[in-house]
Amino acid sequence: MKDKVNDEVTRRNFLRSAASAAALAALPGVAAIAENPGPNDAVRYGFIGTGTQGCTLLRFLTTIPAGRCIATCDIYPPNLKKGVETIGSKPDTYEDYRQLLDRKDIDAVLIATPLYLHARMTIDGLEAGKHVFIEKSMFFKEEEAEQIRKVSAAHPKQVLQVGLHRRSSVLYQTAMEMVGKGALGRVLLVQSRVTTHSSWRRPVADAKYERLINWRMYREYSGGLMAEMGSHFIDIANWAFEGEPVSVIGTGGLDYWKDGREVHDNIQSIFDYGGGGRHYFHCMLFNGHHSNGVMIMGDQGTLDITDDRGIYFREPVAKISSGPAKENWWAGATVSKAAAQKGVLIFPEKEAKDSGFVDRESLYARRWLASMGIYQPEEPYDPYWGELVNFFASIRENKAPVVPLEIGTADAMAVIKANRAIDTGQKTSWTKKSA
Amino acid sequence: MRAAITRYEAAHQAMGTEFTLVAYGDDPQYLTAVGNEVFDEIDRLEGQMSIYKPKSELSVINRTAASRSVCAEPKLFELLVNAVDHSQSTGGAFDVTAGPLMKAWGFFRGKGRVPSNSEIAQVLRRVGSRHVHLNRAERTIRFDMEGLELDLGAIGKGYAVDRAVDIVRRYGVTRALVSSGTSSLYALGAPPGARGWSISLRNPYSSEKAANIVYLRNCSLSTSGNYEKFFKLGTNTYAHVIDPSTGKPVENMLAAIVLAPSACDADALSTAFYVMGVERTREYLATHRDLMALFYLPSSTGRKFRRAILRSDGSSRIGAFFPRTPERKRKSTRKGTSTGASARSSARYATARWDDRSL
Repeated sequence: MKDKVNDEVTRRNFLRSAASAAALAALPGVAAIAENPGPNDAVRYGFIGTGTQGCTLLRFLTTIPAGRCIATCDIYPPNLKKGVETIGSKPDTYEDYRQLLDRKDIDAVLIATPLYLHARMTIDGLEAGKHVFIEKSMFFKEEEAEQIRKVSAAHPKQVLQVGLHRRSSVLYQTAMEMVGKGALGRVLLVQSRVTTHSSWRRPVADAKYERLINWRMYREYSGGLMAEMGSHFIDIANWAFEGEPVSVIGTGGLDYWKDGREVHDNIQSIFDYGGGGRHYFHCMLFNGHHSNGVMIMGDQGTLDITDDRGIYFREPVAKISSGPAKENWWAGATVSKAAAQKGVLIFPEKEAKDSGFVDRESLYARRWLASMGIYQPEEPYDPYWGELVNFFASIRENKAPVVPLEIGTADAMAVIKANRAIDTGQKTSWTKKSA
Repeated sequence: MRAAITRYEAAHQAMGTEFTLVAYGDDPQYLTAVGNEVFDEIDRLEGQMSIYKPKSELSVINRTAASRSVCAEPKLFELLVNAVDHSQSTGGAFDVTAGPLMKAWGFFRGKGRVPSNSEIAQVLRRVGSRHVHLNRAERTIRFDMEGLELDLGAIGKGYAVDRAVDIVRRYGVTRALVSSGTSSLYALGAPPGARGWSISLRNPYSSEKAANIVYLRNCSLSTSGNYEKFFKLGTNTYAHVIDPSTGKPVENMLAAIVLAPSACDADALSTAFYVMGVERTREYLATHRDLMALFYLPSSTGRKFRRAILRSDGSSRIGAFFPRTPERKRKSTRKGTSTGASARSSARYATARWDDRSL
């Protein structure tokens, strides 16, 4: 028992230090490179998997001079063509990623392929001497964690970064700073959700490409909603709780989009972090009312983040102290304190208009948050852009990336265990060896 | 063994503001439980008195009383009697039926608007406590015209403070402060080792500066200020205190502060005195007891203001003490006109031009 606790603490500390070192490394690098792009030391990279997500990243990559795309790879010709058009740097194209990896003039690879290929390509990339950016989830099968870890350890000078882009979001960084500074008190519950009314299906012109295009629907390739959607918020909860879960329960079903797919269209899961900390995540494809987001709830406050908007609520908590205090109260002036409890935008979409009482008072409350160092006025860059800039900065400055192996491993492992809990109906626990 | 002193402080959102309770005792669990009782009661009162909730008892009365007599819960009825009494004794300066005027000016769920004179005339026909008939024997309410509305917005928070103090007292707490955000508060007893509860009265031009400090003991204080709610249109600023006799916002007044034994009375009278101004308030105080009124009045020069303090008979016994400091004496030569900055640590109105016209 004692060992388990020690192990737990060690694991948490490790994740914490990995994360904070990464966060420290991230931001100055961003600024330095964004302001001083060195034309001669751009990272030469190949991009593997130029489908929908790949092209999303490629569009951001077109604006990052710290990296230069000299090769792309996709086994589906229309996607290969789309990738070349998106990046616009006339890369060489490959259908076999191993040929791309054979090129000695490529420093790094970015991988945005179906989940079941992640571990193989990551390992091959590292063994080919490349720095690797791998989309989340980091791997598909539990045993792949150890395989990647071994290879990564054998190539310590190569950056391995996982594409959990919320780690590069100033909104989420601010939120976690608030958590860390105690603005929420003791955090006991993270509630998160991804909701959308969508078939999650991509159009397939030729039926023979169905499983290739809609790989997310099939269990041979995909971890379903937990891997594609849940992984983001699993990582947010890991971040907030500074560790990994100890167990997870879950349920789910294929109840609405019965179109031949194999993965669930709605899932519900509760991750237990020990010590009273829990994370409830759910995802559904038949109702998008609640959009995407997370609520981080402590005994002294709540952070309610929906899409790109974060609101901080102070929990009204009685303060008990002993002995008399200096009592100095106000008449006619306490409204600003009330405003903090009403909810303060930590990322207003636009500045409050100075049109009336409530706006002025919430402005005052935000100034107050800023004075405590826990308020940022707006997201200064897209988190996708931020994570990609960080990848190149990590390579060029030999620094730990914003999402290193440990964070990606904890995230992917929780996806796998949550899916197992849902599929078996059994509580699934983390053992000492698994992480 | 002598029990240790425990201080409890909690805040709670209700009635569009934040209620605060500070209480001293010896048992943290007990004080916390008393706090729960207080805030449950405040929530219950909001549910009963709110005109923002269609299901509240007051909303039902407003919808029904023009067509038939409506029976009210005894405590609410008592409050309505009190409100109508205040309406009559202040010549309608406080008017429990002024809700339609607030709506016409957009202060009810609105952003503020300027109604036309003819609209104001229309609305004024539906305002006046003379149209409210209270049958004390039957405990019923009847309106004698359609469109009338009871609105406890200028008395309800003070009333809630009084009810909260009742609970605190009932549970044996002797040192407590109950405050309803910006408007009303009651100081029960005094903090351990202190003469009273120190209350800073905000400068009418700055929420972070004190215009005066007063120590309260078994006394309530209520404020009506032009800075609480207002809207701007063009170059004009319209504050939320409407004079029910004209249907227009009161001008040339920054704040009216009332000290009284009951927070309910202080709340209603701070609105009334704001509307009535210094001279009419003086007349009122000549025929009433145990009240003190403090005005902050605009000055012709920029962001300065004048103070006026008026007292009724018995005001020396209501438990309000203004500290006297050497600084105050030194500055008192400036005849009660000051900037907010220099007023922070002074209470010089006590010897100022308007001071102490006890009636």
